[in-house]
Amino acid sequence: MNNLNLIGRQWIVAHKDSSTFKGCNKIEAISQGKCNRCGSDVHAKLPSGKIYCRSCIGIGRIVEGDYLVRYDTEYNFPQLKQGALVWDGQLTPLQQKISDTLIENYRAKKSSLVHAVTGAGKTEMLFKLIAECLARGERACIATPRIDVVNELYPRFTKAFAIEIGKYHGREYHEPKNEQLIICTTHQLMKYFHAFDLLVIDEVDSFPYVGNKQLHYAAENAVKPNGVRKYLTATPTTDLLEEVKKGQLELLKLNRRFHGHLLPVPKEKLFLRPFITSKGLNKVLVKEIINVIKAGHPLLLFVPRVDEISDYLRFLKKIPELKQVSIAGVHASDLHRLEKVQDFRVGKTQLLVTTTILERGVTFKHVWVIVVAADDQIYTSHSLVQIAGRVGRAKSDPTGMIMYCYHKYTKNLRLAMKQIREMNK
Amino acid sequence: MINCLICGQSFIPRISYLKILSLIKKSEKSICAHCMKKFEDLGEIRCKFCSKKLPKADICDDCKAWQKIYQKDILINHSIYKYNDFFHDLMVNYKRYGDYVLYRVLEQLCMEELSGLNFDYYVPIPTSKDHQERRQFDTISSIYQNIVPLSYALEKMDISESQGEKNRIERLATPQSFLVEKDNEKFQYKDEGSFLLLDDIYTTGRTLYHARDALRSVFPKAKIESFSICR
Repeated sequence: MNNLNLIGRQWIVAHKDSSTFKGCNKIEAISQGKCNRCGSDVHAKLPSGKIYCRSCIGIGRIVEGDYLVRYDTEYNFPQLKQGALVWDGQLTPLQQKISDTLIENYRAKKSSLVHAVTGAGKTEMLFKLIAECLARGERACIATPRIDVVNELYPRFTKAFAIEIGKYHGREYHEPKNEQLIICTTHQLMKYFHAFDLLVIDEVDSFPYVGNKQLHYAAENAVKPNGVRKYLTATPTTDLLEEVKKGQLELLKLNRRFHGHLLPVPKEKLFLRPFITSKGLNKVLVKEIINVIKAGHPLLLFVPRVDEISDYLRFLKKIPELKQVSIAGVHASDLHRLEKVQDFRVGKTQLLVTTTILERGVTFKHVWVIVVAADDQIYTSHSLVQIAGRVGRAKSDPTGMIMYCYHKYTKNLRLAMKQIREMNK
Repeated sequence: MINCLICGQSFIPRISYLKILSLIKKSEKSICAHCMKKFEDLGEIRCKFCSKKLPKADICDDCKAWQKIYQKDILINHSIYKYNDFFHDLMVNYKRYGDYVLYRVLEQLCMEELSGLNFDYYVPIPTSKDHQERRQFDTISSIYQNIVPLSYALEKMDISESQGEKNRIERLATPQSFLVEKDNEKFQYKDEGSFLLLDDIYTTGRTLYHARDALRSVFPKAKIESFSICR
């Protein structure tokens, strides 16, 4: 393999004597009981008594005595004309303002947090920033916790930029290359060390990045010491707002969707009977589902648990009014997840039963949404706001119906409603 | 509070008086109740030979195929859980990624069932030296070493590839790769003893039938059955 393809990467070797090449640094992978790739305390022991790291085992097990090779040599990427940007779309004045500030902050080596409502057009606001980075001969990475978001962003960036873009996530293996612009999951950041001048983390409040120390450690390691970080979210978490208070981050706020319309305010519906029993679905719920289909809209039906999906599918397929409707279910470890999401996107499927994996970062035209058991503890106020944000994203169809179905009104429901109303003020 | 070895959440193990009084001390300490629920019991209606979960009382297709080869000499396999997605993920972490400590999860899953089976010898299915070297542990004997006394009667010739990477037809076509040393210095086996073969997953039965045949060739009078956590 061409060594240049490994620039900015770090990897494990099992023995001290294994050869490396010029420009590489070699450090102990585990030192003083700490994993140097993910920062975790290491406790688990092999029969030999050697300790190994469980936290980052998914990208290759690190055992005491292994070495971490880091290829953090200087490399001059080309100073691309116009940053290779070929996008000729227009930003709204509000988007333009954020985009300009992001560039200004980048030049000043200042990190920022963009708090923009769902559907504000965050991706478009990044284009000029990325172009600025590439034009300076610097390297950029857009990381996000979700594979689905990587798959959503990648085609949009390949259309907007006339360069080869790297795409990395755990479901798609290929040899690494040293692309100047990379889109990947936050887990992939563990494979980089001091690689990027600009690191954008999209959907920074979402699982698994949020509250995950290993991924935060990896994100810190992946940027160069003088690199800049940009966080994007529709629902900022308290630790980020804390950083804003301390002055480590500048907060940029945008509370209008790109088409200028308000966020759809969720309907809240109290249910007295169970949503699902061994005999079938709640009749009131069925009526609501049929109403959406009759109105001609594709429907995302959120259910709290993976194991409920098959039951919902079984009962939905028995409903006479839905005979003509193509129905599918999708969850995180579904082998056909990507195809199913694509089928729903292009209209091959009209009703998709899903878990929170589709709560964010995905755009489906004209979609309406029903959240079953919105009072379930699995839904944080952030998830509820994000889910509501799936509706009315298109300029041609800026409204739509989102319904929270609940038995018991929870704090998270109240907070989510409050946040949406506040953003609409 | 203990952390669940699967999801990492801290939890308080359930305590029952029966458990306090019983000798099983190590059980129920590695898996939280939430993860425990994701393991799917094989239920009451099973294949009478291999324990496969079936919609109605019958013999499963795998055993019917084995009947064509072995007639009445079908291997009795004891098993507890269905090989569902959750179990698959667990085994990927344990075997492919080499997360050794997960042996405690698997140990906990089969401890009770296994202590109810009485055999003279418990024989783990050996794994290839290659895999063992890479993982730095033996996936099968690690699970069972604390539950029953193990007899390493079988040896694996290093010719075969991993079963996990094959499809059904390739699996079934795998040649015999087990050897038995009768005059093992460490163990003296009774000719008419009872042997329980120990494996993790029963998929087509190919591996376990090979292991049984190898043992049978040396101990023709022995009673040989098998145990797998999953079917």
